[in-house]
Amino acid sequence: MTLEIIKWIGYGTVAYYVVLQVYMFALALLSGYVLRRTYHTRRFGRVNEMLSSQTSPPISILIPAYNEVAGIVDSVRSMSIVGYPRFEIVVTNDGSTDGTLEALIAAFRLEKVRIPYRPDIETARIRAFYRGRGAVDITVIDKENGGRADALNAAINAARYPYVLCTDADVVMDAAALVRGMQRVVEDRERTIGVGGNIRPLNGSRVELGHLISASVPRRMIPRMQVLEYMRTFLASRPGWSAMSALPLVSGAFGIWKRSALLEVGGYKRGHLGEDLDITMRLHRHHRDKGIPYRIVYESSAVLWTEVPDNVRVLRRQRIRWHRGLMTATRDFLPMTFNPRYGALGMVTWAGFFLFEFLAPLLEVTGWVMLPLAYALGALNTETVVLMLLLALGAGLMNSLVALWLDEPYGFYTGPEDTSRLIVIAMIESFGLRQMTVLWRIRAVLGGKRTRHWGQMERKGVANLGARA
Amino acid sequence: MNGIELLRIAVLVVYIVSGLLLSSLIVGKRIHQRRQLAHYRRRAKYLALLSRGLTTPDLRVDLGPRVAEDQAFLDALIDIRTSVIGPESDELATFVGRFGVMEGYARRLRGRLFVTRRLRAAVALAEVADDSFAPVLMDHLGDREPEIRIQAARGLARMHWTPAIDAIVDRFSVENPWVRSRFEDTLLSFGSKATWPLIAYIRVNHRFESPGSAAAIRTLANLGDRDAVTPLIDILGRASDIEIKLAAIETLGVLGVPLAFESLEKMFTAEDWRLRAKAATALAKVGDPRSLPALSSGLIDSNWWVRRNAAQGLSRYPEGIRRLHAAIRSAFPFARDAAAEALADAGEVIAARQRIEEGVPTDEDLELIEFIQSELVVPG
Repeated sequence: MTLEIIKWIGYGTVAYYVVLQVYMFALALLSGYVLRRTYHTRRFGRVNEMLSSQTSPPISILIPAYNEVAGIVDSVRSMSIVGYPRFEIVVTNDGSTDGTLEALIAAFRLEKVRIPYRPDIETARIRAFYRGRGAVDITVIDKENGGRADALNAAINAARYPYVLCTDADVVMDAAALVRGMQRVVEDRERTIGVGGNIRPLNGSRVELGHLISASVPRRMIPRMQVLEYMRTFLASRPGWSAMSALPLVSGAFGIWKRSALLEVGGYKRGHLGEDLDITMRLHRHHRDKGIPYRIVYESSAVLWTEVPDNVRVLRRQRIRWHRGLMTATRDFLPMTFNPRYGALGMVTWAGFFLFEFLAPLLEVTGWVMLPLAYALGALNTETVVLMLLLALGAGLMNSLVALWLDEPYGFYTGPEDTSRLIVIAMIESFGLRQMTVLWRIRAVLGGKRTRHWGQMERKGVANLGARA
Repeated sequence: MNGIELLRIAVLVVYIVSGLLLSSLIVGKRIHQRRQLAHYRRRAKYLALLSRGLTTPDLRVDLGPRVAEDQAFLDALIDIRTSVIGPESDELATFVGRFGVMEGYARRLRGRLFVTRRLRAAVALAEVADDSFAPVLMDHLGDREPEIRIQAARGLARMHWTPAIDAIVDRFSVENPWVRSRFEDTLLSFGSKATWPLIAYIRVNHRFESPGSAAAIRTLANLGDRDAVTPLIDILGRASDIEIKLAAIETLGVLGVPLAFESLEKMFTAEDWRLRAKAATALAKVGDPRSLPALSSGLIDSNWWVRRNAAQGLSRYPEGIRRLHAAIRSAFPFARDAAAEALADAGEVIAARQRIEEGVPTDEDLELIEFIQSELVVPG
C-alpha cells in the first residue's frame, strides 16, 4: 500500500511537471503569436512621431535610491537622454548612508528648494527637496529610510505629471523605451492604467555615459542563467498574459502607471517584499470589484536593462525575497485565485502563479524525494525513471529554446558567441542551477527573520558591468 | 496504450521538437545574418542608383519587375526621400514613377491579404508618391488597418492635398485614440488651411462627441492660428462637456490672445477645480496684466493644483514675482510652498543666493532663502 502511494505521488509530480510545461509552452505560443502580429507595426509604425508631438502625455520618471552611489548618476543620465517630449525625473534618496545624495547634488547642480508637496500617501519623514539647475528636469526628495515602496510613494506624491514611470536606480533605459511604453497609453488614455516593459540583464554589456553601446550575453553562469530566465518571462509569458487582459505582474524596474490610479489604491504597500506584484494585483482587484473599465498591458519593445545579481549569495537573497513576496501576495489575493469573477486573471494567470510559482518548489522537491524512493523500493523500474527524467529535462529545454526563438527579431544578441552561450545555458541549467533556485524558494517557505528583509544588492554600477561579467 | 508507452511518445515528441527548434535557431540565425547583409548591399546599390537618377534624369536603368517588393528598395527610397527637399523630392517621385514602382505599391495597397506588404506599400506611397496617387490614399483613410490609415493621412498631408482635410477631420469621431492622435499631428502639415474645417467640426460635434471635439480643439492649439480664438471663446461659453471646456481653455492659453482674458477669468471662478487649474495656466500664457489679481487670489484656492498653477502663472509677470515674494510671508503654508517653487523655477533662488554671496542681498532675498532653509513641515 505504502509502495503504491509513493509510486502515485511520483507519477503525480511528473504529471504536474508535464502540465506546467504544457502551460508554459501554450503561453509561449500565444506570446509568439502576439509578438509576430505586432512586429510589422513596430517595424513601420509612426511611434517616433510621438517624440515631437504635443499630444504625448507628460510623464514623471520615479527612481527610488538607497545606497546607490555606484550607479545613480549614470542611471539618471540614461533617463535624462531618453527620447520623449515632456518628462521630469524624481529621485527619492531613501536615507542613503553612502553619499548618494551628495553624488546627485554634485552631478546635477542641485539646489535646495521648497515645493508644494502633498502627502496623498503617507511616507517616512521628508527632510528636504532639491531641484536641478542644469538641463535635466530633476527633483530629488531627501527622506528618512522607509524602503523601496515608501520611497516610490514619496515620489508619487511629488510627481507633477498624470503618468509615472516607476523604475530602479540600477538601470539603463533604451532610448525608445518610454515612447514605446507611452504609445500604449495614447492608444487608450481613458482605460490604460498600467504598462509593463521588457527587462533585460545588463551584465556583460557595455555602457558609456548612460548609453548602451553593445549588448552581449555574460560569460559568468549566474548572470547568464538570468538572461535566459528573463527571456522566458518577458518574451514567452507576458505578451500572452497581456493579450488575455490578465497581466498579474508589472515589473518594478519598468512600470508606467496612471498616477490617479495609484493614489486610489493608496500607493505601494510598505514593507512588502513583492511590492510590484502587490500593486498590480491590487489595481486589478480595485477596478474589477468596482466595475471600472481599465487595462494593464505589456509592451515588449519598451526595453530596460538592469543589473542582475552576479554571484550566488546575492542571487539567493533576491530569490528568497521574491518568493516571500509571492507568498504574501498569494495569501492576500487568495480569494481571486480560481475565481471566475476575475476572468482570465483569476482562472488562468493568477491561478498559474499559484500553481506553477507558489506551489512549484514544494511539488518539485516532493518529486526529487519520491522518485528515487519509489525506484529504490522497486515501485518504479529503471526505464520509467529515466523516461521521466528525460521528459523533465527535455520539456524545460524546449521552452527555453522557444524563448530564444522569440528573442531573435529583437537582434540584441547577434554574435555566434552569444548564441552558443545561450544554447549552452539552456542545456545545462537543469543540472544544478534550477535545483539551486528551488532550494532557495523552499528556504523562503521555511521563513525566519533573515528571509523577511530586502538585504543589500551589491552594485557595481551600470557603467562597470561589462568588463567583469 | 499504457503509461510507459505514453511516456516514451512524450519524450520522443519533446526531443524532436527541441531538436528542430535548436537546429532552426542555429541555421535561422545564420540565414538571417546573410539576408541582413544582402539587404544592406542592395540598399546601398539602390541608394547609389536613386542618387544618380536625381542628378541624371535621363538615366536608363532597369530596376527589375519585383523591385516594389524589395524592402531594401523601400528603405533606400525613404533614406533618400528624407534627405532631399523641394523640387528634388518631386524629381525623385518622377524618377521612381518612370519604373511603375508606385503603381506596384498602389496595387499592393489595394490587396486584401498580407498586412505587412500592404503596410509597406502605404509607407512607400506616403513617403514618395506624387499627388496623382492622392485618390488611392484617400480610399485608404478608412482602411481596416490602423497603421495604414495613419500612413494614408501622412501621405496626403505631405502632398498638401487639401480635399483630405475634411476627410481626416471627419474621422476624429470614429477613430481610436492612437490613430486620432496621429491625425492630430498630421493635420499640422496643412497649416492654417485646417483651421476652419476643424472649427466647423467642433461646432457640429461638441454637444455629443467629446473625444473627437477635444482632439480637434487641441489641434487648433498646435496650429497656432489666432483665427480660432473667437469661435473657441464661443464654444467655451456654450459647451457643457468638461473635456471640451478643458481643451478650449488650454488652447486659448496657447494662442495667447488678450481677447480671451474675460472668458478665462470667468473660468477661474468655475466650480470644477480642473477648470480653475487650467484657467490659471491659460491666464498666465495670455500675458494680460489684468490676470494678476485673479492669479494672486489663486494662491489661496482650496485646490492644490490651482494654487500651484497660479503661482507658476504669477512668475511670468515682473509684478507677479513681487507678489510671489510677498506670498512667502503668507499665513497659508501651501501658498508659501507654491510661491517658493515658482520663484525657484523662475531663477529667483539662484539670483538671491548670488546676491547674498556678493554681499548685496535685498530683504526679499534673505526672506526667501531663510524660508527655503527652514525645517520642512509636510502638512498631513
